[in-house]
Amino acid sequence: MTGRVIVITSGKGGVGKTTTSANIGTALAKNGSSVVLIDTDIGLRNLDLLLGLENRIVYTLVDVVEERCKLKQALVKDKKNPNLCLLAAAQTRDKSAVNAEQLKDICEQLQKDFDFVLVDCPAGIEEGFKTAISGASEAIVVTTPEMSAVRDADRIIGLLEANDSIKSYKLLVNRVRPGMIEANDMMSVEDVCDILSCDLIGVIPEDTGIITSTNRGEPIVNDENSMAGKAYLNVARRIQGEEVPFLDINEPTGFAAFIAKVKSFFSGKNKKTDKDE
Amino acid sequence: MELNKRYIIDLSQAQSPADIVFELSNIIEKEDAANQKIWLKLGNVTLNQSQLLSINSLISSINSTLSLVESESQQTELAAATLGICTKDVEEELQEEFSQLEAKAPEDEPSLQYVPMTEHLDDSSDSADSAEKTQQEEAESKDAENTVDTTTDDNKETVDEQNSEDDDADKETAPIKTENEPAEVRNQENNETIDEQKESGSLADVDIVFKKPAIDSENESDSSVVFSSENKEQKEEEIQEQLDSIFDSETKLENILSDDKDINEMKNWPLTKEAEDNFEIPEEEMTDEDYEILQMSTQYHKQTVRSGQVIKSNGNVVIIGDCHPGCEIHAAGDITVWGILGGIAHAGCNGNTKARIRALTLNAIQLRIADSYARRPDYIKNIYVEKSNTFTPEEARNINGSIVILKINDK
Repeated sequence: MTGRVIVITSGKGGVGKTTTSANIGTALAKNGSSVVLIDTDIGLRNLDLLLGLENRIVYTLVDVVEERCKLKQALVKDKKNPNLCLLAAAQTRDKSAVNAEQLKDICEQLQKDFDFVLVDCPAGIEEGFKTAISGASEAIVVTTPEMSAVRDADRIIGLLEANDSIKSYKLLVNRVRPGMIEANDMMSVEDVCDILSCDLIGVIPEDTGIITSTNRGEPIVNDENSMAGKAYLNVARRIQGEEVPFLDINEPTGFAAFIAKVKSFFSGKNKKTDKDE
Repeated sequence: MELNKRYIIDLSQAQSPADIVFELSNIIEKEDAANQKIWLKLGNVTLNQSQLLSINSLISSINSTLSLVESESQQTELAAATLGICTKDVEEELQEEFSQLEAKAPEDEPSLQYVPMTEHLDDSSDSADSAEKTQQEEAESKDAENTVDTTTDDNKETVDEQNSEDDDADKETAPIKTENEPAEVRNQENNETIDEQKESGSLADVDIVFKKPAIDSENESDSSVVFSSENKEQKEEEIQEQLDSIFDSETKLENILSDDKDINEMKNWPLTKEAEDNFEIPEEEMTDEDYEILQMSTQYHKQTVRSGQVIKSNGNVVIIGDCHPGCEIHAAGDITVWGILGGIAHAGCNGNTKARIRALTLNAIQLRIADSYARRPDYIKNIYVEKSNTFTPEEARNINGSIVILKINDK
């Protein structure tokens, strides 16, 4: 078995690389694949927090590279899904602790045992980025519909094209707000794709649930009611080869929107009164 | 001699910051003030940090450095300390240097440069002659014999020292001083421990690594953190039997450090509430390991230990401040945190199972004592511990290879 090594990158920070990694990884594992997530953001690790595995980390990527432990010892199993493993980054070191060759070696070893190896890339285009993409053959470029993020994504795509090992790359547009697109305050997903001339793999709507799920340490794909969760599940299915139509993320407008608001208002109120009782 | 580079400016009669700046601007026009280490003697004028900073830049404009400030105002001294400027009593510092010089080269009489600032000079020289020295001060200046020039490298130490002294009850008895030995704790009641620490040469034994990844990597390769994993296999069954009667299966602990162990089997650390009803601490006699910890040097840190920072010590570690999640503390002896412990704490990292971890609020991600360790339970949702005035100090111990947390007053 040879698994696929996919790097999740963006160039710009704060667009949702780590959130995307955690959710796609969890979604792939939910769909039955065996997945290992590698956090390469050494010194600023967050992936363990998002998965709620912070207290389980004993050995890290740096320990593996410096041969203080075996690779298998450093893999932390997810709480819920035994298909999902995490190889955490060290918090007390920096990016120079691991070089491209070493990560490539680790990816090759993990490829044998897992269907998917997802590499969470640090922000920037320096050493850390070069290390992260070294082992991968596919890439997912995360961007948001903002000019700054799109510019950085363009730069990243250029670098990925220049890299021989990356065979294909796909675009994931995160934090899309349909209401703002409609009001012409935000670039549409089509605009982003046009500018970057790149295939789309998913559109994730802005969702406040992401913040709570991050704080709770539980990926949002486990929440079946969340739009962002559904979108991430769809992305995972597309990665696995299924053809899934893009989710209709448009908010209802006009009268329908009013009805929806009233509904949500009442349902929210009911929930609160339930709690009070 | 070194002493020639001192340039002491006495401004103790100045009444306002404007006076000080005026006098200083007169001085810096003099040629002999350039390329010197300038010692500033201030009166009771209070200067804040930015004022001191501008004085500093004024002095650095003539290639001199402001290396020492003496002031009657506490605020000024604090501000100077935060800027990394040594705060000492000029007369005492001079006395110390004199005594050092006499000890080294008595025949070589150094010439001191006092700079006359109108009539203030007379005051200062008078007070220098009549510098009252209590016996205590004499003792302290002897203690400080190894105090070489307080260079900028030591300034971090300086800040720590001084801050901790602010809390010290007897701060009024002596003017604020700095010394190179970090382990020197001013504690009048406990002179014996101070002597012990001095003998063991705490500074040389201890590696501290702060925000220096390059050095960190060097230290890690020959780090003293040795996970010894012997004898556990045989005892394991025995231990588990004992534990079954004490804890439920959720709180059972395993030694997971040996090569063939899977870290995913690591168990939660038990909560005090669950443990306290059913668990009686075995009465234990003091063993060699206990005495070993008592004789270790102790390192004090007054700071917040933040994510990514590592503190390593071959002795005990005391941290006055919080330890945020993401930090690591490794000590061969005990770890005591006067604050919230949120990171990873590894006590007895050379294999001493009698080491303990105590904190005002124990919320560590992982607790490790010798070769046993335990993680924070998942059902503890509060990642952020609220800072409050009430604490329940707790202590983690390694009892028969499992980590047990007890309220400190349980003893």
